[in-house]
Amino acid sequence: MTLKGGTSQACAACKYQRRKCHAECPLAPYFPPDQPKMFANAHKLFGVRNILNILKNLDSDQKTEAMRSIIYQADIRDRYPVHGCWGIICQLRYRIWQAEEELHAVHAQLEMYRHHYQQQQQVTSMTDDVPSQLELGIGMAPPNNNSLSLFNHTPQQHQHQPSYNNAPAAALPYTNNSNSGTYMDSKDNVAHSMWIQHQYATATNNINSNSSIPIQPHQFVASQSLALQQQQEVVHDYDEIHPFFDTIDDRQSYIDSKEAYDSSSEESLKDTTQSTEHVAENELKSAAACFSLTSVN
Amino acid sequence: MASSSHSNPPCAGCKFLRRKCLPNCIFAPYFPPEEPQKFANVHKIFGASNVSKLLNEVMPHQREDAVNSLAYEAEARMKDPVYGCVGAISVLQRQVVRLQRELDATNADLIRFACNEMPPATTSDQFGSTRSSGHGQGAVDQNSGFYFPYNNDHFGDGHEGGEGSM
Repeated sequence: MTLKGGTSQACAACKYQRRKCHAECPLAPYFPPDQPKMFANAHKLFGVRNILNILKNLDSDQKTEAMRSIIYQADIRDRYPVHGCWGIICQLRYRIWQAEEELHAVHAQLEMYRHHYQQQQQVTSMTDDVPSQLELGIGMAPPNNNSLSLFNHTPQQHQHQPSYNNAPAAALPYTNNSNSGTYMDSKDNVAHSMWIQHQYATATNNINSNSSIPIQPHQFVASQSLALQQQQEVVHDYDEIHPFFDTIDDRQSYIDSKEAYDSSSEESLKDTTQSTEHVAENELKSAAACFSLTSVN
Repeated sequence: MASSSHSNPPCAGCKFLRRKCLPNCIFAPYFPPEEPQKFANVHKIFGASNVSKLLNEVMPHQREDAVNSLAYEAEARMKDPVYGCVGAISVLQRQVVRLQRELDATNADLIRFACNEMPPATTSDQFGSTRSSGHGQGAVDQNSGFYFPYNNDHFGDGHEGGEGSM
């Protein structure tokens, strides 16, 4: 409905309600005439009176923000008639939980690598120290007790198995079944809220370009209990790498490093026997020197 | 005249609206008389007639979820008349973006370790501004600084598209 003699069109709100759009129409700034669906959604969810009630006590800046949120909320409700924005919140909470679990797992793996690396560095530095001490003849302990103590090192590396938290939620397959879940109070843990409609899940792909994850409740519960179990029982078998870490083939690297360690430890033992022989020889020489000096005096 | 002693007590909706609660009352299963505030909030924000229409449009087994989501949104709008539950969405989406960035950076460190490279001291800032994919719909409003979970150009403001800066 156009204004009398005017060139400007009635706003979508007045158009919808088939009434005159005055210059002071409160909804005109927010509902342009070329987007009738926007007002239709807002009207369906809130109604004109309730929208005006919300805007009543707000200043102009707040009104703009409020209208944007109202339009967004109505649009979401149009797409997801059952769950609306609450469904979006549940999905986001789940994604946050998932990302945090993944982050914990990656941090644990990273810590394991760092520890492994540090131990390698220590082993390397200790093997480097042995020949230097022999050359200088420094730190020669009495042959009986402590000659071997300098070269004692307990190989603990192979005992330290990597432990990591799995992210089962990331690895479990999800099926795309329609289901309805139970409403959870907003204070409930997201781990228990998992009702996502089929159409909600597929339509969410339109809103968020990230793939939504429709899940069945029993799968999620199983995955969560599995996660809890695995957190309690730390996995020490390095070969059973979680599929999440499939892209990182660290089995081979671990085996290589282990072999390297074993060979280096063997070499260090050989060095140990050789060094003790050297020590004994030097001791005899020094003892002989003392004897000769003594005999002179 | 039917005795009212055998009839069920009126639901919170009918009690609020001061009308007879019929056996086929659409509100009765979802607005028990023990929770009057629930209906009061929903009615104040959305209106009883709108809620009734909405419930009639969804399947009966989905109505409880629909009512509970409306109750949540109504309560959120009562607490925050400007943003309502959209404020919570905005906060959560920012958190998702932040976590994704951290995850990208940490994964990169892990890959470097797997390739037997030197570990960096810190991981979180090594990657700089790694933009995660799939979150490009949010935008920060120029006037209010509020991170909206969507890019709304309805009002003709020149809002930036893409991810908002936090």
